[in-house]
Amino acid sequence: MTNVTLMGGLAGALLLLPVIGCLLNGLLGDRLGRRWVNWIGPGVIGLAFVVAVLVLIQVVGADDAHKSLTIRFWDWLNLGAGNLNVGFDVTIDPLAVVMIMVITGVGFLIHVYSVGYMDHDPDVARFFSYMNLFIFSMLMLVLAGDLLFLIIGWALVALSSYLLIGFWWRRPSAVQAARKAFITQVIGDVALVIAAFLILTSLKGQDGRGIFSISLPTVFYNAQFSFAHGGVTITAICILLAIGAFAKSAQFPLHTWLPDAMEGPTPVSALIHAATMVTAGVYLIARFHTLFDMAPIAQGMVACVGMGTALMAGVIALSQVDIKRVIAYSTMSQIGLMIFAVGIGAYTAGMFHFVTHAVFKALLFMAAGNVIHAMNDEQDIRLMGGLGDRMRNTERAFIAGSLALAGIPFFAGWFSKEDILGFGTVAGPLVPSLFIVGLIINVLTGLYAIRLWAVVFRGEPQTARVFQAHEPGRSMLWPVMLLGGLSVLLGIVLQWPFQILGFSAHFLSSFLDPVFGAGAVAEPSTAKGAIALAVGTIFSLVGVGMAYRLWYEKKPHAQEVVERLPRLLPQLSWHKFYFDELYDAVLVRPALAVAGAARRIVEPRVFDGWVRGIGQLFADISIDFRAIETGLIRDYATGMLVFAGVFVGVAYLITR
Amino acid sequence: MSLDMFPWLIGLSTALFMIGALGVLIRRNPLVVFMSIELMLNAVNLAFVTFGRFLNSEDGQIFAFMVIVVAASEVVVGLALITTVFRTGRDMDVDDLSEMRE
Repeated sequence: MTNVTLMGGLAGALLLLPVIGCLLNGLLGDRLGRRWVNWIGPGVIGLAFVVAVLVLIQVVGADDAHKSLTIRFWDWLNLGAGNLNVGFDVTIDPLAVVMIMVITGVGFLIHVYSVGYMDHDPDVARFFSYMNLFIFSMLMLVLAGDLLFLIIGWALVALSSYLLIGFWWRRPSAVQAARKAFITQVIGDVALVIAAFLILTSLKGQDGRGIFSISLPTVFYNAQFSFAHGGVTITAICILLAIGAFAKSAQFPLHTWLPDAMEGPTPVSALIHAATMVTAGVYLIARFHTLFDMAPIAQGMVACVGMGTALMAGVIALSQVDIKRVIAYSTMSQIGLMIFAVGIGAYTAGMFHFVTHAVFKALLFMAAGNVIHAMNDEQDIRLMGGLGDRMRNTERAFIAGSLALAGIPFFAGWFSKEDILGFGTVAGPLVPSLFIVGLIINVLTGLYAIRLWAVVFRGEPQTARVFQAHEPGRSMLWPVMLLGGLSVLLGIVLQWPFQILGFSAHFLSSFLDPVFGAGAVAEPSTAKGAIALAVGTIFSLVGVGMAYRLWYEKKPHAQEVVERLPRLLPQLSWHKFYFDELYDAVLVRPALAVAGAARRIVEPRVFDGWVRGIGQLFADISIDFRAIETGLIRDYATGMLVFAGVFVGVAYLITR
Repeated sequence: MSLDMFPWLIGLSTALFMIGALGVLIRRNPLVVFMSIELMLNAVNLAFVTFGRFLNSEDGQIFAFMVIVVAASEVVVGLALITTVFRTGRDMDVDDLSEMRE
């Protein structure tokens, strides 16, 4: 992969295509007419996917030493040799390629799906414009070869997420949710910027002199000279980076925005809040693995937060009744697993789970969108039931996605999730207690995934609306079916364990390994891995089996089991561990109280008196001066000119 | 540039400034008044740059940049005002727009 011109052209095309779509639909959308809008929106992303495939072919074809390439497009700020030099760099390496394949591939399918889903919306041009903007931001984020442009992509992603959550801006709840998401994102942005400054000030070269650069290859190469292993600076940098990742990936304690973000249209939830944006945190940590490998404390924190969030979100998902929120909490839980994986150094496993999760979670969201569409925008699963007989294809795809999510053998999720758990037996803080937490999460995942299927698609219809439900049109059904097929096959394709017909075994890991190199944690031994795999699979099956008994056969009925549990558990789950209430009490209410007090007490007593007094004083004085206020501009201008002349004259006389 | 250009440049600047000032005083169309103000600002820019050139100092150019920035912001505010007044459907005459007197 030494052809810089070709790769530069491809990367440029990849970044430009969504921008073109965004501008065309955003500026000319009303004049183009619906037909064109519906072609341009998904079309540019489809072309971008083709370009991404070309990039993939190039990178796969290169030998291991030449898989990574950084291209400087232009100098953005260059203060000369030895001084600050920031440029628009694009880095293409296997990690970036995996990301762009998912972003454009899944993104394209979701765009196609949106054509059907947004069919009744008059504002579809604005929608596609935002969606394309999002794809551009995400591509910029993963392709950036300089921390500055990574941060710009990072912030643009938050912006497009904000725009899309608040897409239906007439709904107050959507606007609230958008604001909440954006504010939380900004906390992460600030952490990331501080981390960038810390890197900038502490980076040193081999000769011990400071390097004034935040170009990613420079940072990673010089990290060994700049930081002591486990030192304070590197730990601080990594913790700040992790806070940025937590905000983006909805991890504890910055997770509360994700469920609310479901206020956006369902394709948005599928693309941004399941498949791509929320996994940017995983990408960030994987990208900065060189730094994280040097900061074990930060790694331990990341692993614990990831596993903790996964457990908490799994518990919450059990009791939620909004179909999209259940899937949102499941997303949070699965991303927790990915964060755990990259936290213990199992970067390849984390990225593998990112790929499979993007596929089956986008599928689940789009299938949920089909259901919501068929139910006339009803999202409460208690009012559904029995939809499977009316929506056979959607149900089949949904089952494939749910089984992949639950980690049933040979579905995509099984390969990736058990991979992560396998690493959990050999690495990470407090080995192997987090592995045991992972087993509990396996049970929970099976429970909520199958519960959702059983309650929505099986059982008796709960409302009359179910009887009118029917399958959606082609553009909404086909992407779902395609992703359903991928949910079954993707794990086998990407990580087939045996060499066959010239295809190398473990394609994805052997593709990604050159990126992560020596820092990645070693594979567990075959025996240990096999035991972890077997135990993990058994726990997943137990979860699925329990859910099947409880919600499908209803022997015993789920309600009876809940009543036998200690009361605290269902309470915590239903109220989402009271985090919204906590933040409301600790942050929102005090802020409102301070503001209210300022308005009621400080303003009238402290400021109003003398502010108005000064005003009154001048009003009194000015009553006599009013005569010169003629209201004619030329009078004023003449006055100014005369006085300017007088001033110049006096100045001349004085200084002569 | 030889030194004898200096009076010509300053003279040109003064002339432009006077034309602008007269325009502000005499014309009644707010847009033309506005253009005249821009003319005055640019006359001053020319003077700044000229002085800077002949005193061998960058200060003149830096000040000219400041003036350009101020002029740009002024255009933003001024044009917004003119557009808003125009939208109310009134005559575009600066003498007419005198309600703020009170």
